[in-house]
Amino acid sequence: MFGQQVMSGLATGSLYALTAVAVVVVFRNTRTINLAQGDFSMMGAFFALILLKQFGFNYYAALLLAVLGVIVLGVLVERIVMRPIADSDWLTLFTATLGVYYILHGVAGWLWGRDTKAFPVTFNPAPVDLLGARVSEGHLINMAWAAAIGLVLYLFFRFTKQGIAMRAVTDDPETARLMGIPVRFVIMLTWGMAGFLAAFAGILTAPIIYVGPQMMDEVLVKGYVAAVFGGLYSIPGAVIGSLMIGVAENLAGGYLGSQYKTATAFAMIVALLTLRPKGLFGIQHRREI
Amino acid sequence: MPLGSATGAMTHARTGAPPGGRAAVAALQQRFARQDVAAACLLFVVLLLLPVLPGVQGWMASQATLVIVYVIAAQGVALLVGYTGLVTVGHGGFLAIGAYTAALLTKHYGVDMLVAIVAGGVMAAAIGTVLGLIFLRLAGPFMAIGTLGFAFFVGTVVNNVTIFEGRDGISLMPTNTLFGQPVGDMGFYYVSVVALALVTLFLYSLLRSNVGRALRALRDAEKAAESSGVNRWFYRTLAFSFSACITGIAGALSGLAIHFVSAEVYGDIWYSVDMLVAVVVGGSSMMMGPFIGGLFVVMVPFFFEQLVDFASFLKGVVLFVVLVFAPAGVCELLARPVRALRARRIAALAQAPAAPVGPAVTAGR
Repeated sequence: MFGQQVMSGLATGSLYALTAVAVVVVFRNTRTINLAQGDFSMMGAFFALILLKQFGFNYYAALLLAVLGVIVLGVLVERIVMRPIADSDWLTLFTATLGVYYILHGVAGWLWGRDTKAFPVTFNPAPVDLLGARVSEGHLINMAWAAAIGLVLYLFFRFTKQGIAMRAVTDDPETARLMGIPVRFVIMLTWGMAGFLAAFAGILTAPIIYVGPQMMDEVLVKGYVAAVFGGLYSIPGAVIGSLMIGVAENLAGGYLGSQYKTATAFAMIVALLTLRPKGLFGIQHRREI
Repeated sequence: MPLGSATGAMTHARTGAPPGGRAAVAALQQRFARQDVAAACLLFVVLLLLPVLPGVQGWMASQATLVIVYVIAAQGVALLVGYTGLVTVGHGGFLAIGAYTAALLTKHYGVDMLVAIVAGGVMAAAIGTVLGLIFLRLAGPFMAIGTLGFAFFVGTVVNNVTIFEGRDGISLMPTNTLFGQPVGDMGFYYVSVVALALVTLFLYSLLRSNVGRALRALRDAEKAAESSGVNRWFYRTLAFSFSACITGIAGALSGLAIHFVSAEVYGDIWYSVDMLVAVVVGGSSMMMGPFIGGLFVVMVPFFFEQLVDFASFLKGVVLFVVLVFAPAGVCELLARPVRALRARRIAALAQAPAAPVGPAVTAGR
């Protein structure tokens, strides 16, 4: 029972991590708390669903195209909405992403309706045995995807020129610009990465819940909370935060009752922020915003 | 955000004009301030006369009540976002606290409407004080996320704890009672206008008092204000509880106005986000900002009732346009010509070269 709760908690947590990491990546490069992150995911899930159902694509082709579509969406949002106001204070940037949220919600509701749709399940729903715990195959697949994406991100930030440029912009945008790093391109890349992560988050979450304009709202809030664990700055912090939230809420749901599940994340964030106002892994006196 | 305005005008007057001019400038500014107050009074007279104007029908009064309730809620948010400089995305939580307090008291104890409204405000203020002490430790974006988490938490509680009756909701009697007299839709409209007037008056005097000056000083230059002896914790916690209280009162009014309180409405975190939109669109640091913002946020979905998705789309586009072309809000945009005119008159009177922004900011604030 306990092992099972922890395993499925880790599986949910690894899906939150996709959102949390995207929130962190966008925030630390652009000072923007992206409220539209969940809507990017929602669009990704819709793209994939349509490619699968109406055009009969196979799963991987649909996944690939949907991911590309959401990357383009992320870049477009940067170019059209965020760039003209890039120098404003963070509240303006935040509210602008809220505008994107409303627009994408409206577009999705208008094109595909507000009712929820089922996403075809591709895995075997019967549970499998792992380390003595019975885990659903879907959970394992999600964890594998999240781990693979994590590895890709690690390699990207560690070894590629673009990844190193992104980190340089994070550390000090002004110096990075002076050193000849194309900051605008890096910001575009940042939003592209947000789209990339969002698409996976949406497509992997969809079979567990449903597809609809509201599908990611709850996940988004938990992604934020997890991102705060990393001080909105540290990617490993955001990942650990996500896994902690996933496990904690599953345990709370399993032992206290399912109504306590969603409140757990908030209780955790209040406890954490009371003790360490800038997150568990945040740099405590870094930027004054 | 612009610095405290009066001081700018004063120094300007002191340097640029002879002593006689200075007194005249001060007198003119006072006249402008009186004009603002008169305009606000006129607005309230219009609001009071609205139901008896020709062509106004019953449903309009109930719709206007909803707008007014929303304006009050947005005023609570504006006190924090505009004048204190703290961003909250969680005031839907206080709205819910006010609404549920009023609804439960009315349903189980049959209390008077006035008692229910005051209790809603007091409950929200009490919880707001405690939360303020926690959230004030957080800087900018962290506070936004923390407050969003709070709204989410309240949503979970009202959805799941039995006493709040979840999505089935709490149904109330179709008429409220005030001092033992039954109050219908029209009567409720007057009650909400009076509440709006009281809250506006309260905010107006609060912002002109020492507290308001302390809050603005903390907003504009936190370190400087603190080293001049302004107690950051005290004033910000005070602002947080006042703000929670005002939104709680709005919540109580909204619950009583529609006689129905359910988790479907008050448990939705995007309600909180809408309030922030109202404040940003209207203008967060002007008295009339929440009026315009509340009107916008309530009336857009109302006019596009059949086109929910278009309403959402429109809201996003308007929000973006406002951020680009009027970052200080629609209210500021509308007040610009008035300000320019007044600035010119002050400049002419002071016989100073060209008036900088200082005096211009005074008008309408």
